[in-house]
Amino acid sequence: MAVFALRRLLSSIPTLLIVTLIVFAMVKLLPGDPARLILGQEATPQALAELRRSLGLDRSLPQQYLSWLGGAVRLDFGTSLTDNSSVSRLIAQKLPVTLELALFAMLISLLISLPAGILSAMRRNTWVDRLLTLLALSGISLPNFFLGILLIYLFSIRLAWIPASGYTSLLENPGRNLLLLLLPAITLGVGSAAVLTRYLRSSLSETLTQDYVRTAHAKGLTSRAVTSKHALRNALIPFLTAFGLQLGGLLGGAVITEQIFSIPGFGRLLVDAVFTRDLPVIQGVVLVSAVAVFLVSFLVDLGYAAVDPRIRYH
Amino acid sequence: MRKSQFLMAFLSAACLSAATASAQTLTVGLDADPPKLDPALSTALVDRQVMNQIFDKLLDLDANLKVIPALATSWKVTNGGLTYTFKLKAGVKFTDGTALDAAAVKYGLDRNRTLEGSARKNEMSSIKEIKVVDPQTIQINLSQPYGPLLAVLTDRAGMIVSPTAAKKAGADFQNNPVGSGPFTFVSRVRQDNITLNANKSYWGGAPKIDKLVYRPFTDGDVRYANLLSGAVQAITPIDPKDISKLEQNPKFNVLNYPGIGFQGVWFNVTRAPFNNKNFRQAVAATIDREAIAKSIFYGTVTPAAGPFPPGTPAASSAITVQKPDIALAKKKLGGKPLSFTLLTTPGSVTTQLAQVYQAMFAQAGINAKIEQVEFGTLLDRADKQDYDALMLGWSGRPDPDGNIYDFFVTGGTNNQAGYSNKTVDSLLAKARAQTAMSARAATYNVALSTILSDTPYTWVYFQRNLVASVKGMTGLKPIPDGILRFKDVDLK
Repeated sequence: MAVFALRRLLSSIPTLLIVTLIVFAMVKLLPGDPARLILGQEATPQALAELRRSLGLDRSLPQQYLSWLGGAVRLDFGTSLTDNSSVSRLIAQKLPVTLELALFAMLISLLISLPAGILSAMRRNTWVDRLLTLLALSGISLPNFFLGILLIYLFSIRLAWIPASGYTSLLENPGRNLLLLLLPAITLGVGSAAVLTRYLRSSLSETLTQDYVRTAHAKGLTSRAVTSKHALRNALIPFLTAFGLQLGGLLGGAVITEQIFSIPGFGRLLVDAVFTRDLPVIQGVVLVSAVAVFLVSFLVDLGYAAVDPRIRYH
Repeated sequence: MRKSQFLMAFLSAACLSAATASAQTLTVGLDADPPKLDPALSTALVDRQVMNQIFDKLLDLDANLKVIPALATSWKVTNGGLTYTFKLKAGVKFTDGTALDAAAVKYGLDRNRTLEGSARKNEMSSIKEIKVVDPQTIQINLSQPYGPLLAVLTDRAGMIVSPTAAKKAGADFQNNPVGSGPFTFVSRVRQDNITLNANKSYWGGAPKIDKLVYRPFTDGDVRYANLLSGAVQAITPIDPKDISKLEQNPKFNVLNYPGIGFQGVWFNVTRAPFNNKNFRQAVAATIDREAIAKSIFYGTVTPAAGPFPPGTPAASSAITVQKPDIALAKKKLGGKPLSFTLLTTPGSVTTQLAQVYQAMFAQAGINAKIEQVEFGTLLDRADKQDYDALMLGWSGRPDPDGNIYDFFVTGGTNNQAGYSNKTVDSLLAKARAQTAMSARAATYNVALSTILSDTPYTWVYFQRNLVASVKGMTGLKPIPDGILRFKDVDLK
């Protein structure tokens, strides 16, 4: 297992290098001039030339790439063009916020999808299954922003129970932190729960038709024991893959939810950086997201082995 | 049952703690996160909302856009408009405790006009040198007469930073701004809040509120929801669609007052099709400015006749809003086909506006294709004159010069059309050099009549300032520059 983990980590270095190249090239290929956007409508040609020089935009692309990569390896992604603060510091401030939101959302998603998926599979083609299917499809179709605004309308404006926006850190005030993250986490979690419910239903339904399940039934085990002891472990493999994908997606995909609830997280950092053409921030955020998605998929791979004893890595 | 009781108790406890914590705090929702809190480097309108509370300016504006004393108590213009002498208020201190005297004012003004990357260089380019006459007197010498100077000093160019703090912070000053204004900077969390405390020893009297917090909400609906839910006590701007709902809501006050900026369409005069003046006039003649103000903006903008909004010093009743005239447009086209691309930025209002233009052009048989690019690209392509027509406006300046000179003088930094007319150049230069506003206004309007006939730009509407606040907030004066001044604002 340890050897596998190490090999898997080492083999990812070339992939990550390609990612850095793509991230750098992608940002450079964007049309327009960051200096022009920073200086806005009042820019004089001299001020523009000065700023381009001080941003290093007058150097050749390979030079710019190498100096950026050299910094990125040491976790130094340069300074933000908007307010001169360190990109690493900004990422270190924003990433935990989004991470907390994503984990909270995944928790909500698991609390909904595990029981719903299992129930749906065990009661296939009954009214329970049809109702859960309908709810899951509604959850998938309901746009994030719509659900978010609906929750704000209900809980913040009508009932005035929960503030409509804002963020307090967990260390500063845990109660308020959880309160403020509740609506955004539900907004994010519901969509993901709907997807995971469908995954679990289909994989568990399929497993329940396998021969060994029939054998277990024949041995006189109860339906509950067959499902929990025999079928569920196997059915969880595709579910885990989907779960990993969802978590990776949530890290980057919290953008709209963070916008609606004004949460100063990773997604909003990226959106604002794109709008202000803050190239070092865009590069840093995209690279860190890529690494995060890679890490999640790595952990999912390790998780397979833990869940399913048939899978062993060499 | 127990679970839901626990949840209710938890929610109400959390709400209660939020309410007591904000007793003396005024929270204001803005439409963007202010990028740079440094008067030299700032290029965004939204920066000024925050900086105006932190920094004192040499001069200020009143509700009629008249220049009034601030740090400068009086001023004299001598030497044929080349020398400006300012008497400064005595005993003023920066919030870091250092003295605000003539040397500090000189430092601040020089920093604004020379700092690397300063966005103030253009508007301060006529300044030759700044001299300290005595600790309470400062003299600005110009290389050529420049009538707009006083108005320029009512904005960022006239904001005075603490020399001690600026030297110490260096490039990081924008994250630790120190001035002598009614509020002091406490902290900022990007994309979340900027927090200011009242400057209790402010020379003009302490502010009535203790704490001022700015929060950015880029989405208009989110801004509106936060006002309704009580998370913020004031928002600016309001989306036009929400204004009547807020006006009818007894819990809120709405301020709707004229601004100083304009919006319209540039024509690239350096290449086909708009190197043909008739084509430019034809397009301008199809636009129904009244209909746009009513249908897209719910009457929250004013149809524009030129660059000078009503109520500003150079506004002239002789220049009237152009009425749509399809027959005239067809005549100007002379039976020739006209197709072009209209460049604009994404956004619900700009998209809607572009589509309405497209339909209005089509009435005269003009075929426009809409292309959307983000703002930096739009400016870049405008600079390179790589476009046919583009939608771009201006936040406006209190002095008429700031709304016309750089836009139409040959080679002007905002002359996106590539327009050049010797008569206009000499009239714009003449108006700058005149000192009496009435004479300057007359000269600008003579230049404007030529510009209107040449049509490198067509004005469509003037923005208005839209602010909503809770009923308990009082003392906000409507100054047309759109900057909210919170020193005298109270919250009950």
